[in-house]
Amino acid sequence: MKITGIETLVFGVDDVAAAATYLTDYGLLPAGGGRYEALDGTGVVVARADDPALPAAMGGGCLLRRTVMGVADAATVDAIAAELGRDREVRRLPDGSIDSVDDAGFRIGFQVSVRRPLSGLGELSNAPGAPIQRAANRPGVDAAAPQIRPRSLSHIVYFVPDAARAEAFYVERLGFRCTDRFTGVGPFLQPAGTLDHHTHFLIGTPHVKGVEHFTFHFGGPTEVLQNGSRFVDMGYQAFWGPGRHILGSNWFWYFNSPFACHVEMDADMDLHDATWRPRELPLGADNSQAFLLRSRRKWMPGPGAPEAGDYA
Amino acid sequence: MDALHLCRADAIGEGRSRGFDPHGIGSDTVFLVRFRGQLHAWRDACPHVDGAPMAWRKDAYLNAAGTRITCHAHGAQFEPDTGACIAGPCTGRSLQRVAIEIDAHGEVHVAAHLRAEETEKWQR
Repeated sequence: MKITGIETLVFGVDDVAAAATYLTDYGLLPAGGGRYEALDGTGVVVARADDPALPAAMGGGCLLRRTVMGVADAATVDAIAAELGRDREVRRLPDGSIDSVDDAGFRIGFQVSVRRPLSGLGELSNAPGAPIQRAANRPGVDAAAPQIRPRSLSHIVYFVPDAARAEAFYVERLGFRCTDRFTGVGPFLQPAGTLDHHTHFLIGTPHVKGVEHFTFHFGGPTEVLQNGSRFVDMGYQAFWGPGRHILGSNWFWYFNSPFACHVEMDADMDLHDATWRPRELPLGADNSQAFLLRSRRKWMPGPGAPEAGDYA
Repeated sequence: MDALHLCRADAIGEGRSRGFDPHGIGSDTVFLVRFRGQLHAWRDACPHVDGAPMAWRKDAYLNAAGTRITCHAHGAQFEPDTGACIAGPCTGRSLQRVAIEIDAHGEVHVAAHLRAEETEKWQR
């Protein structure tokens, strides 16, 4: 099952205008029809919660209606349809994708991948002695840079009532692998068609079914920090970050959103192949963040600043 | 200057909300909402995740219709006048009310008897 990653998340929201503003300020590009895209064409679709064209709501306040994954080819779509058709309804949609439901109740779709290949370098640092550095006269940061664009839809985190059962569905039926795990919480899951540390993370919560967050990959930590800082300056409410995770190594910054879940900006996630041995850690802040940064508006004594900056 | 002054009462229209940082910690910790004519003040802290801020953007605490307080972390919904969570991951729990006073000039303040206690709590 060569599933290459998540390509579209469909939400039915209370306030379409607010959602549109949010996604645009986050950096996604409006593509028409309520679709907002990253540079590789993956994205989020937003519609009014009462739009009859949307799949049914899951209940419990969750606004996510569908998670569409890309696969390598039409044969893989057919193989997934045959596999899931053994014990549940699988529908073929006019756009060529198939539609079904996972064991936790999340509606899922599969399509031949339309993710556009990206080229070009990510963020480079001029580490002394490193064989790959930025070219001379190429500044590493541009404070006046135009809108920073997310590159690619990265992952989603589901709250599931039964993490073991939800994991078994993705692993046994769809060929995902567990790359790492938080004890008693749930697994980070990687499908067979990508090396990304995870496209799905499952959090076992007895009474909650929904979404904790979703996120797009940015080009590097500077893009996450610069785009996130601008987001904060626009009045958006940060929740956690910026910092760097341990499992997956991705830089993170989490924000509240009108999607009834957090939305993250992330960068520089680890890649793993089949030789990787999953780690397992107890959940806790110490195991979730390698470090967490704190901003400081006034960092030196001077005009308009307290005598000792804002260290007090 | 009174550190726990919030705003003029008539600055918050029906079905609108606004966040405040009366303790000067750098982020809003209290918000006001006007619902059916009455002003209500609540701690900006979702009972679902200890202390989680609730707006998705500065002052944006409500649903589109202005009829429910919404936590924009995981979508919990609350009655604006009782603070009761009626949908979402912390159904049955409640927001913490902040007692307010409106003075003779129409200015809203955190209630006098709470000032010392509140300030001590947030500055700890």
